[in-house]
Amino acid sequence: MRWIRSESFAAWAFMTPGLIIIAVFVFWPILYGIPLSLTNYSVIAETKYVGLTNFKNAFLDKNFTISLWNSLLYVIVVPFIQIFSILMAILVNSRIPGIKLFRAAFYIPVVTSMVAVALIWSWLLSNNGVVNYLLMKVGIISEQISWLSASETALATLMFITMWKALGYYMMLYLAGLQGIPNDLYEAARVDGANRLQLIWSITLPLLRPHIFFCSLISVMGAVRVFDEVYILTKGGPGTSTLVSSVYIFEKGINQFNFGYASALGLIVSVLIGGLSVLVFKFNQKGGVNPY
Amino acid sequence: METTRRAKNVRKIMNMAVTYFFLILLAIFMMGPFLWLLSVSLMPGRNVFATPPAIFPTFIDFDNYVQVWAFLNFPRYILNTVIITALGVVFNIVLACMTGYPLAVFRFKGRNFVFVTMIATMIIPSSTAMIVHYLTIQELHLMNTYLGVVLPAAVSVFNIFLMRQTFLGIPIDVRDSGKMDGASEFRIWWQLILPLVKPGIAVIALLEVMSFWNSFLWPIVILEDTNKYPLSSALTYLNGQFSYNFGWIAAGTMISVIPIILVFLFTQRYYMEGIAGAVKG
Repeated sequence: MRWIRSESFAAWAFMTPGLIIIAVFVFWPILYGIPLSLTNYSVIAETKYVGLTNFKNAFLDKNFTISLWNSLLYVIVVPFIQIFSILMAILVNSRIPGIKLFRAAFYIPVVTSMVAVALIWSWLLSNNGVVNYLLMKVGIISEQISWLSASETALATLMFITMWKALGYYMMLYLAGLQGIPNDLYEAARVDGANRLQLIWSITLPLLRPHIFFCSLISVMGAVRVFDEVYILTKGGPGTSTLVSSVYIFEKGINQFNFGYASALGLIVSVLIGGLSVLVFKFNQKGGVNPY
Repeated sequence: METTRRAKNVRKIMNMAVTYFFLILLAIFMMGPFLWLLSVSLMPGRNVFATPPAIFPTFIDFDNYVQVWAFLNFPRYILNTVIITALGVVFNIVLACMTGYPLAVFRFKGRNFVFVTMIATMIIPSSTAMIVHYLTIQELHLMNTYLGVVLPAAVSVFNIFLMRQTFLGIPIDVRDSGKMDGASEFRIWWQLILPLVKPGIAVIALLEVMSFWNSFLWPIVILEDTNKYPLSSALTYLNGQFSYNFGWIAAGTMISVIPIILVFLFTQRYYMEGIAGAVKG
């Protein structure tokens, strides 16, 4: 009776509904994925324990290796996103009339659905589309490029779309960081005769390092997990040129009901992402930055 | 003296001009595709792939909107989207407020344990989640229901932390004074504390409105009945079915994009502060 009136009881009473949902939809997938990956669980056949067969098959599965490689390649988008969004943040940090309007305009791709974004770009980038037309008119290219349907350009084009949609988001995060930098630092440096580039190089960037760390970490994880734009625009094609691991897992799991195998693939990718995160952590610690 | 001041002014104006130049260039890059979509949706022609491609409409007409609205059951899809979004937002607000509150103000055994385990889940990536979610929803007999669409994202560890941060900023006296008056913990939470954390609630609401409004894949996986699809899912469907009728798809896409852009424009101050605050917090 006393316990019912205690703070502990109240605390658990408050938390129970949320914790149940977290248990079912956050913990359970992590736990259940492991035994699932050791079975041949699918809709067609009887479920059997198959040991490490799925993992062995995964490494023999050429498409899976290709998809892993493509996912890793996708990380190339990260430095581009960081560099451009930092430059954008510096630009929109200026105090001039109408700046809030520009900030909002740059952010709109972030709030729109990937379905709409993918649709627009697939048209703009089609053979007879606006992009080819403009680039040819300006003379940058001499003939039409099949941006999304040629295996040489498809992956890079997807990365471009990913970057275009994400820039505004990271710009806001960096803007928050920029606004936390005290103005006196710039004043002092200016008195010492530093020019604009020097200010950015020796004040802005070093003080933004915690933000750069945080943003690189989430965008590396995002790049390895990329799904929406690839699934809507190319479904992994042409051939296997844009087959990334999450699309392949989705194909195997949800479309072909090969749950056991897909779980094994998912686990391998999870370990990979975990490893990459550790790498980003290490990389930043070396630079003497205390992550959040 | 006069000349140096004038030189300074000239430099200032030059600086501003350069800044505006880059801002406008970027704005064209970021907004151009949307403006072009708007332009296509207002074009009377059937084909945007004319050579050379049409960039601006020769004259504006709303036929595409009228026709696509008549062809697809938009009110139905919009209603579905609103139901899914509302359910998702309410779940997230209520659960994040309930779970974050004790973690911020109560002293109890296991507090650190709950806290640390939650942080751990944010670090562990889970690519397999979707497959297990599918099985779980099937097990709960929630296939083809809105609840099945919403439940896997009904609460997020991120939101719980956002709310916990907000609750930490509330003075302890508020709770003590409620206790003096003999109010129950639940009443204190509901009547005294929640009104004080409205900004935090607003941030969660906005973040979740955006994410549920735009979700397309999970609804397709869970909903067998295409009449239950939200707008984004319906659009991928429309795209597959009528890929030849660009004007229609453009108009349909505009209809799906405009509400969320309006919500964003009217609430951008809270939204952007929330995003920025969430990183700093």
